[in-house]
Order: sequence, then C-alpha cells, then structure tokens
Amino acid sequence: MTRLTKLLAGSAIASMLTLPAFAMDVTIAQTSAVNTLDPHGSASVGLDLSVLSHVYPTLILRQPDYKLVPSLAESWEAVDDLTWKFTLVPGAKFANGEPLDSETVAWNIERVTNPDKPMRISSWFRQIESVNVISPTEFEIKTSSPYPALPAQLSMFMLLPPKWASEHDPVTETMSGFKYKMVENVPGDHITLEPNPDFWGTPAQFDHVTFRVIPETASRIAALMAGEVDLINKVPASEIGRIKESPKADAGAVDSTRSVFIKLNTEKAPLDNKKFRQALNYAVDKTLIAEALFDGLATVSKCQVMTPDYFGYNPDLKPYPYDPEMAKKLLEESGVDLSQTFEFELPASTYLQGEEVTQAVAQMFGDVGVKTEIQTMEFGAYLDKYRKAHDLGRMSLLGQAWATIDADGLLTLFKPGNQYSYWNDAAFDEQLVAGGSTTDEAARKAAYKKATEIMCDEAPVVFLYAQPATYGVSKNVSYKARGDDWMRAYDMTPAQ
Amino acid sequence: MKHFFKDLTSSKAGLFGAVLLVIIVALALLAPMLHLPDPTRGDLRARLAGPTWDGLFSPGAHPLGTDEVGRDILSRLIFGSRMTLMVACTAVVLGGIVGTILGILAGYKGGFVDKLLMRLVDIQLAIPLMLLALLIVAALGPSIQNVVLVLALTSWIRYARIIRAQVLSLREREFVQSAHAIGASTLRIMFLHILPNVMTPALVVGTLELARIIIMDAALSFLGLGVQPPTPSWGRMLADGRVYLSSAWWAVTFPGLAIVLTVLSVNLFGDWLRDYFDPKTRSAK
Repeated sequence: MTRLTKLLAGSAIASMLTLPAFAMDVTIAQTSAVNTLDPHGSASVGLDLSVLSHVYPTLILRQPDYKLVPSLAESWEAVDDLTWKFTLVPGAKFANGEPLDSETVAWNIERVTNPDKPMRISSWFRQIESVNVISPTEFEIKTSSPYPALPAQLSMFMLLPPKWASEHDPVTETMSGFKYKMVENVPGDHITLEPNPDFWGTPAQFDHVTFRVIPETASRIAALMAGEVDLINKVPASEIGRIKESPKADAGAVDSTRSVFIKLNTEKAPLDNKKFRQALNYAVDKTLIAEALFDGLATVSKCQVMTPDYFGYNPDLKPYPYDPEMAKKLLEESGVDLSQTFEFELPASTYLQGEEVTQAVAQMFGDVGVKTEIQTMEFGAYLDKYRKAHDLGRMSLLGQAWATIDADGLLTLFKPGNQYSYWNDAAFDEQLVAGGSTTDEAARKAAYKKATEIMCDEAPVVFLYAQPATYGVSKNVSYKARGDDWMRAYDMTPAQ
Repeated sequence: MKHFFKDLTSSKAGLFGAVLLVIIVALALLAPMLHLPDPTRGDLRARLAGPTWDGLFSPGAHPLGTDEVGRDILSRLIFGSRMTLMVACTAVVLGGIVGTILGILAGYKGGFVDKLLMRLVDIQLAIPLMLLALLIVAALGPSIQNVVLVLALTSWIRYARIIRAQVLSLREREFVQSAHAIGASTLRIMFLHILPNVMTPALVVGTLELARIIIMDAALSFLGLGVQPPTPSWGRMLADGRVYLSSAWWAVTFPGLAIVLTVLSVNLFGDWLRDYFDPKTRSAK
C-alpha cells in the first residue's frame, strides 16, 4: 500500500466515522446571477425561484417526479368548477413570528392580483376572482373560469410575511418562513443559506447551502470534477461520459418538460399549405438527431409538443416517420414553388445544441428540395420578433415548456388569438375551450386528446424531440434528477 | 523584378511567409477542383470523428476529422479560406482606396479639410474598433456585405494617417512645385503626381492591415456576426467546436492553426515588403 492510498483509506474511515455526527454543506452552481429576491418579481424557475424556494414557503410543493405534495397546505380540493378549498398546517410561523395563516395567503394573493401594481407573475393568477378566508387554517379561492392547473401554479407561488414586507424591501432582503434562511448574499457571486431554527416542518438536512454563479459550461464541469460544487445543470450530452469517469462526480440526463420543434409561421405563404407542412415533418429524421446529436438522451416527440409528464399527453400518437420519398411526393402535391429560399431563424446559444440541430434539420430539408437560409440572432432579438413585432420568420427553432405541466398552458401557446400562436385553427380552439371549461379530469383528457390529434395532423410545427435535462452531481450526495428546472437542496440527501 | 525576388530569397522570414501565402491562396483558388467533400453537408453518424489517414483518397476519409454535425474539417478549412480571403481582401482594398484618397486630400489641401479629416480619424481611434464593428453588424444584421463594410470602415484611418504624412513631404518637392507652377489643376497634381508616389506605403499598410482584418473577421464570425452557417468560416468553426475542446481537440485546433498560419504568413511577407521598399533599411543591408 502506497502512502497515498493509506492516507485515502484513513480519511475514508474517518469520514465514515464522522458522517453521522456532522451534517454537511452543499454547493449548487447556477448559470447566472439572481435578479431579484422578491418571489413575486420573477418567473425564472431555474434561477431566482430555485434559490427563494429554500427561504419562502409555498402552499404546495412539486416533487422531482412532478407529483404535487402538501407543504404549507395540508390538503386541497375542488369544491366545484370555480372554487378550490385549502386547509393549512396549524401553527406555522415566519422566523420573525408572523403567522402563516389564511390571512397571510390572502394578502399574498392580493399582492399579485392588484391590477394597479402588476407583478411579474400576475398573469398566472388572472383567473382568480377572490379569496374567502373561513378560519386561520381554512380558505377558498374563487376563480372566474375553471382553473384546474391552480394547485400546480401555486407550487411556484411563495408567500411573504405581510407586516415585514411593509417595512422592508423584499427585492433586496429576505425573511425566512421555510427550511433555510439567507445568511450571505454577494450579488453576482454567491448566496449562502443556513437552516432556519424556527422552521415549522421537517428540518433542513444541510448545514450550509451555497448557490454559486458559474456562467461558462466548461468551468462548471471543471468545478464539479474538482469537488468545488455538488450540483450543476446544462451539461452538453457528450460531456456526460467524461464526468462519469471522474472519481468525484456522476452525471446523467432525464427528459425535461421542454419540447424542441421547428415553429412554422402558418400566417405566411406557403406555410399555410397543410401538405407542405406535413412534407417538412416527413423530411426530418428525428431518431437520427436524438441518437447522433444527443447520444440517445433526447426522446423523439410523439407528434405533439407535450412530453409524457404533462396532463393531457396523448400516448396514442405516433411521430411522423422519416420518409423522404413521401416528403417529396407531398411537396409535389402541395404545388409550392421550391425555387424560393426559406428564412430559418435560430436564437443563438439558447437551446442545448440548438445550432447543431438547426444545421442538421436544414440539411434534411435541403435533401428533399426545400432551400433554407439560417439566420442566427440573439435570443432577445428573436423574442422581440416573436412576441412584440409578431413577425416571426417562416421557420425557426423553438423550445417551449409550461411550468404547471398541463396542456392548459402549453397548448394555449397555439390557441388562435394568442400572440404566440401563428396558427389559426378553429377546431383546435374548440377543443382547448372545452378542456379549459371544466375541472373534470376525464372530460379534460378527452378534449386534449382531440386537440393533439388535430395538431398532429395539421402540423403547425415540425415536431422534433424533448430536450434532455442534463445534470452533474458530486458523489457526496444522492440527487433525484428532475426535468423542470428547479434546483433544490431538498431534492438531495447526503450519500450513504 | 529580378531584384525583388533576389531580395526575397535572401530573407528567410520573408520567403517563408511568401511561400506559405502562395500555398494558401492557391488552395483557396483551386478548392473546387480538389474533389473535396461538400463543406456544407455532414453525416450525423460520423459526428466528431477524429482525424484518420487510412484510405486518404477514399470518399469517406476525413484527414482532419469531422465537426459537430459530421462535416469534413479539411474541406471546411479550404472552402472557409475562400470566404476569409475574399472578405479580408475586399475590405483591405476598399479601406485602402478610401483611406488613400482622403489621406492625399488631407495632406495636399491642408487647412480646414486636413483638420476635419484628422479629427475624424482621432474620433474613430478613440472608439474601440471591435465594439464599433459589433454595434454596426448587430444593427445592420449579419451578412457578408455588412462585414466587409465594417472591416473597411475600421481600416481606412490607418491608410489616411500614413499617406497624409507622406504627402506632407511630397508637397514641398520640386516636381510637385513645378507642376503647380505650370498651372496643373489640384486634381491632376494629386492623382497624377502624388498618387504614384504613395502607392508603395499604401501597399505596405495594406499587407499589414490584411493580417489584422483576417483576425477581426474571425472574431466577428466567432461571435456569430459573420457568415451564417452552414457556410464555412474559420471563426465560426472555432466557436462551434470550443464546447467539445476536451473531447474533440481537432474541431478547434485546425481552424485555429489555419488562422495562425495565414496571419503569420501575411505578417512575415508584409514586414519584408516594408523593409524592401524602405530606402533606409535597404541601403543598410
């Protein structure tokens, strides 16, 4: 035995002996700095909300398997189509002693639904009509139309202490009401959390949780492999194998809730031609992209923009097969003039390996005779074209997800009249209205089944794949990977 | 001409630069006749394949490996050189023409015109060139024309300054004075008598500018503001390959080498050219 291995063995025994006595610290690497500490001032799940979800309580929590579980709310139920009733954990308090009761929840909902002072997340709760406080632990939320995704939406809604918030600025300060409290905030560098001793639920597991900002992908990977950080995300698929070989870290990928597709602007000719849109779907070898570009970590979309985790996912649909001959035949039938060049917009470094996917797809389009010209642009410029100017190019690469993981939300982005839609299909609209007008699960599923069938056949997009959520994690902790962007210390436990 | 080549062969660095430059230009010009794989078409199955020398002349061989979408890197380098050289040369010539004309104008006319032009040069020198280029390309949208335009814009000031200094001394020389005395027009003096005498310094500035502009073009492409994919460009190849630096070194190493060698050859040749035309260093030899 060399001296080094002796030393290692010794320290291993020492650490085994000391583990039960001491809890440990974890460090989570984030891609950019936190913008605000106000949980109502940000919709950025992977960034601001992830940090704040350690400090502020929510009524409901979403587990890594996407199941909704009680947090401050012990239970909840739909009383009728327009009423949700919640029962709270009794005796919960903020660290400054303010009660976490029905009045506090009502004040928080009032804060984000006040039409005079709109917050960043106000649009989530536009359907809320009123909050009816029954007792300190019971209240009802009335909505103007059925809102089946309300519990899911509330899992992203954190509660501030009303009295404290009137005396302090929640944008720059925090007051803990959950597992951790913020002890240090160096903007742009790191935020350190310690357990909240007055927490009303299951206590925190780690002595310190640090969120560090490391923007460069290569640096994040290096920090993980050096043992400086315990959790990173957005790892390129081909780097996963290299991390796995390291003695200190592990890596992997799960399906995210984000689908990547080619958005077709059906408001511009000839993308209003259904046969042409279908031909484009036949022309792309989705399996090859998933296998070759993502080492098989991406899952080919089943002719819909939802992933299997969504409520309303249709398991019966099949992807358009890769069939260049069929594509050529449909192109001919469509009568579209193929001498033109189609602009193909690409938001730069936005989606995992998006540049590669775009070039691969452009080449496959070229193979069946559809000429494209790739136009790279900043994501901000792309969003302006998409949202403000409503002037999207005829083709563009886009990835979309909806945080409530519900068809009512993601499919709404394709609803006629929605500024994001660029597709006007009355039959599809009818099904979305049906799905959104009830809280009855069977009726909703039936409506979304029909909606997805229409969308598959009409093909307002070229369906591609579900983007993999890649991560790297140190061997000091065991981590339940999730595909919906949350980065939470309480999804981790010290490794045994 | 004979003296030119004799002097070149006696300078090792100059000769090395010249030979390298000739090879690069020849490869760029002859690219379509070399039976290379299509630089814009890749095979996803052969993605990030390492360099292999087996069956070098068979169609599936990739002597320098393939990039992140399975395109042959050698072919992309050679076709990319066409784009780089075309953009750089056009920008240098364009900047040269504008810079030389304005330099002669400032130097010969003097007075208000001189002051105005030289303050313009000062203002532009105060703005970081890369920032200026980024702003303009971002505003106008990335395209080859815009990149050429921007690069030419960053280049004219260097010509203007040096040409102006030359003209200031030429203006007092007898042949200019006598042309003036026999009543030659200002335009005639500027373009028939002065211009031929500043061609040499303009040429020297041009070669040195060429090297700078190749790097700047690569930087713009690296930032995604140059030629759009899948058209090959060296800077873009560097940018796209850098994610795979640890697993596929060839995707960045060869484009990087291509930029280094081209800039080096232009610089060496340019340095020698400057020495060759400079009477002081020439007589010292």
